[in-house]
Amino acid sequence: MPLSPALSTSAPAWFKERATNAWSQFQTLPLPSVRDENWRYSNAKSIPLESLANADVPDSDVVKVAVAASVELEKWSARLVFVNDCLAASESSQLPAGVICVPFSQALEQHSDAMREHFMQRQMQLGSEKFAALHLAMLKAGTVVIVPRGITVPAPIEVFHWVSGENAAIFPHTLVIAEDNAAVTVVDHYRSCTSEAGFSCAVADLIGKPGSHVTYIACQEMSEEAQAMHLSSTVAGKDAQMKSFQLQLGANWSRSESVSDLVGKGARSDMLSVSLPLGDQIVDQRTLQNHKAPNATSDLLYKNALYDSSRTVFSGLITVDEGAHYTDAYQTCRNLLNSDTAEANSLPGLEINADQVKCSHGSTSGPVSEEELFYLKARGIPDNEARRLIVLGFADDVIQRIGNDAIEQMIHARVEEKFARLG
Amino acid sequence: MSLKIENLQARIGEREILKGLTIEIKPGEVHAIMGPNGSGKSTLSKVLCGHEDYEVTGGSATLDGEDLLSLSIDQRSRAGLFLAFQYPHEIPGVTNANFLRAALKARKPDGEDVDAIAFYRQMYARMDQLEMDRSFTGRNVNEGFSGGEKKRNEILQLMMLEPKYAILDETDSGLDIDALKIVSRGVNAMRSAERGFLVITHYQRLLNYIQPDIVHVLMDGRIVKTGDRSLALKLEEKGYDWVKDEALPAAA
Amino acid sequence: MSAELETPDLSDIKIDSVGDFTFPENNVYDAGYGLSEKTIDYICDVKGDPEWIRDFRKKALKVFNEKPMPTHWATKDLENIHFDEFRYYLAGDRKPKKSWDDVPEEVKKTFERLGIPEQERKFLAGVEAQYDSEAAYSNIKAAVAEQGVIFVNSTEGLHKHPEIFKKWFGKVIPTGDNKFSALNSAVFSGGSFIYVPPGVKVKHPLQAYFRINSEQFGQFERTLIIADEGAEVMYMEGCTAPKFDTATLHSAVVELVALKGAKIQYVTVQNWSSNVFNLVTKRGVAHEEAEIRWIDCNIGSRLTMKYPGVVMKGRKARGEVISIALANNGQHQDTGAKMIHAADETTSNVISKSISIGEGRSTYRGLVHIPKHLKGCKNNTECDALLINPKSRTDTYPAISVRGSQHSTQHEASVSQVSAEQIFYLMQRGLSEGEAMSLSVNGFINDLAKEFPMEYSVELKRLIDLEMEGSVG
Repeated sequence: MPLSPALSTSAPAWFKERATNAWSQFQTLPLPSVRDENWRYSNAKSIPLESLANADVPDSDVVKVAVAASVELEKWSARLVFVNDCLAASESSQLPAGVICVPFSQALEQHSDAMREHFMQRQMQLGSEKFAALHLAMLKAGTVVIVPRGITVPAPIEVFHWVSGENAAIFPHTLVIAEDNAAVTVVDHYRSCTSEAGFSCAVADLIGKPGSHVTYIACQEMSEEAQAMHLSSTVAGKDAQMKSFQLQLGANWSRSESVSDLVGKGARSDMLSVSLPLGDQIVDQRTLQNHKAPNATSDLLYKNALYDSSRTVFSGLITVDEGAHYTDAYQTCRNLLNSDTAEANSLPGLEINADQVKCSHGSTSGPVSEEELFYLKARGIPDNEARRLIVLGFADDVIQRIGNDAIEQMIHARVEEKFARLG
Repeated sequence: MSLKIENLQARIGEREILKGLTIEIKPGEVHAIMGPNGSGKSTLSKVLCGHEDYEVTGGSATLDGEDLLSLSIDQRSRAGLFLAFQYPHEIPGVTNANFLRAALKARKPDGEDVDAIAFYRQMYARMDQLEMDRSFTGRNVNEGFSGGEKKRNEILQLMMLEPKYAILDETDSGLDIDALKIVSRGVNAMRSAERGFLVITHYQRLLNYIQPDIVHVLMDGRIVKTGDRSLALKLEEKGYDWVKDEALPAAA
Repeated sequence: MSAELETPDLSDIKIDSVGDFTFPENNVYDAGYGLSEKTIDYICDVKGDPEWIRDFRKKALKVFNEKPMPTHWATKDLENIHFDEFRYYLAGDRKPKKSWDDVPEEVKKTFERLGIPEQERKFLAGVEAQYDSEAAYSNIKAAVAEQGVIFVNSTEGLHKHPEIFKKWFGKVIPTGDNKFSALNSAVFSGGSFIYVPPGVKVKHPLQAYFRINSEQFGQFERTLIIADEGAEVMYMEGCTAPKFDTATLHSAVVELVALKGAKIQYVTVQNWSSNVFNLVTKRGVAHEEAEIRWIDCNIGSRLTMKYPGVVMKGRKARGEVISIALANNGQHQDTGAKMIHAADETTSNVISKSISIGEGRSTYRGLVHIPKHLKGCKNNTECDALLINPKSRTDTYPAISVRGSQHSTQHEASVSQVSAEQIFYLMQRGLSEGEAMSLSVNGFINDLAKEFPMEYSVELKRLIDLEMEGSVG
């Protein structure tokens, strides 16, 4: 059975209309070509659209196992578990009063106005219009978080998205709205129940109103037969501080598109990522730091440690609009190549239209430094262990910028676990 | 004939820094301005040179009768005002020799160039006085210079441009004793009946080498005390508090 | 048809400012407007091209017609080129001149107006200078010829040295490389052909001056330089063009071949007037331990698209691009570098500096490619952009592709302005704001300007001072 949209009858009319339009858009839009600049070095044909199927309602055994495995952070304010886009568990008693953290379908019914205003309002710019349309058409699960003015959510909100069944596709959605001076951290996990092929096509939109603090973590650990797509955007209002982190460990092909709009004076956006591809894994990442307001800062650091015959693509662009004076924008991509058949492609870009701008980008690709290796070995550490330490340090350098100990430890542990899979 | 500053008031943003400063430097005189941190010493030098961060809100400044405040930064320089910067800027890719030639050429009538041979002869002589290596001419202005090298370079520019009035802004900061002696020797060589100096410093030490005729104490944007060299010695011995105590009732 | 050029009446010369003047046209051969097989037959007939070149040109025309404009990544301004509105072949006098005295007075005047210094004119004894599409003057310095160096225009190279010409022509840049290399392959005329025999180190740079002097006339030079094993040569190319009311197209192809241990340096200082489309393909192949350096300065033109490349085909080959671009109002400098590593231990270096003035736009595009199975390749890329005015624009689009764990690449790019404190410092020493800005801009490119031969770096400074006029205050 090929993919087909299954509209919820209880959704508001405006949503049904958008979903219907999105489906026809998905069907009309051509598959991106490798000649498209946004798909250079990549190939949309990696997603086996023909063989994908709607994910079935999962068996209770599958649900049980998934829920039991949905344990990462010790402390959380709320926790939601979805299996095949069906809510399997939800716990939100730790949330401060007034904070909304509900499954997507509930948000559509209960917070229709806020949803209408903020839901998928941003035009895709990085090449995946077709997949954003597919997401919208197929969407039925995910999390909507609305934090009222001035409220800080103390511990992270943690969400698990599981996919189960051969060639099953899920479409997890995340929408976070932090009102003025609110603060919240949200962690999304994308996982497969088995080693089967499957597809996750996720969208995460984060809206930071003036003075808010939003930290968003996406941990993609799908099966190595699966494909994963993650389309995210952040909007940083005046003096808002946004931070997003991408951990790309699973899937044989993953693509993330991350956009940061800096729309308010004094806004800041940090964009971080770590990937550790092995075997034939392909990690394709596209980013946009979009400066629309003056005196804003964006800082991007993406690091890839490549093994075996894996491939990475990093394509990043900083745009500074006319009038976005006194912008500070930085972009760095570092690739550590650990095998003779691994391949790293970097496309760091700048488009500057304003004055009094401090902008730079840097990209390096190379092996583990011989000097570093020598230093560790001179202290009696064997070659393998020395390399492991260096690569972990390489990743930790990014992880430490998250600024939350529990999350940093969790991510470090995930990276270490993946590392253990290396021969 | 003098550099005359009368009731000068200036601010940066909303903050008033100079609140009515008066001082007159005649050719041949060396004035020192001392004062605690934040009293407005560096502001004075930047305001006189026309730095755009500062807004003059009152008073006047004239150079030999010419209204300084109506001139652009470079016009003030060519009128004869020189500032030895506390933190000299690095100019990437521009060599010292090219920079000095450009500055000298700017003082000549349109189309007239600097005589290259005379220029190098004079520059080398001045550099010898400051014990500067010849390789300095080919290095980029202040780029990668040590603190002492930068200050020496400021004095070299002073010697080459031969201004009517020179302001030395904390020229002693960051200098070891040997460098201080060399820099002072350069300044003293430039002292003459035709040239006035304003030496801004936090410490008395510099004044042992560049001996001032008149010493002013600057506090909270005003000159609160003026005396001869002994005032500097007293400040070193007793600090600034006693001046404050003396000044406050007078102001009340 | 009169084959003689008359000495022009000086009152016919319109002079406004540097580079902005034209002489009356005295064209003998003219292929007319537009491009078709007929145009190509006309060119071949006039030039007496051999049959294989006629075939080559016609095949190229086909490729050109089939290729789309690269507007999916490049500027849409390319759509404003109307190929039917150009003349594709025009020659003043087909026979290259053999001595300076034979050079038409009007060409000499042109050189004079361009401010080529007296002593540099002595250099012209060894110059291949192009006036419109045929060389108006050609004379190889005796010493160079004695060393066995061939330095002629490309037509002469094709006719007199077919055994070398044919072997390398179109091999570095295939016809179908891009739409404009195909266009050039169809209608090329002029340009230089140089062959340096094994071990010969040419002491003096070989020079050529290019100008466009007929309204709406496209110029399509084809240059081929071969440095045989251990040979060394430096080639210098300088261009200025007068201003015209309608667009002018310039689309050159330059191919360099550096055989084992050879070294080629190709220096360009270009100052097109701001109605010129300058769409150039330049590439070199460096064999084992050979070195190719592109030293490139782009000033002026409406749109320049030029990404000099080096294919490092032999072990330990080196490639370098040193590039300065300056874009003023109405100008877009879209320049960069392509470094293709195709052998072990090859190294490449790219240093690019751009200056955008007024509403000028400068773009850097880079490609670094280190494919599989290679060892010990290195690339270093630095690109710095300087923005002078609030409406100045700069873009950077590098692409770096590395495979394997035995290489290292490093790319750094920055965008900056001349700081207010720097201007204050310079003005405090008596420089006007404009002088302070000019000095700062010259400082910004100083380390690269040093890479140009002396007379070029002096000219460069003069051009920058001229461009900076009126940019501040």
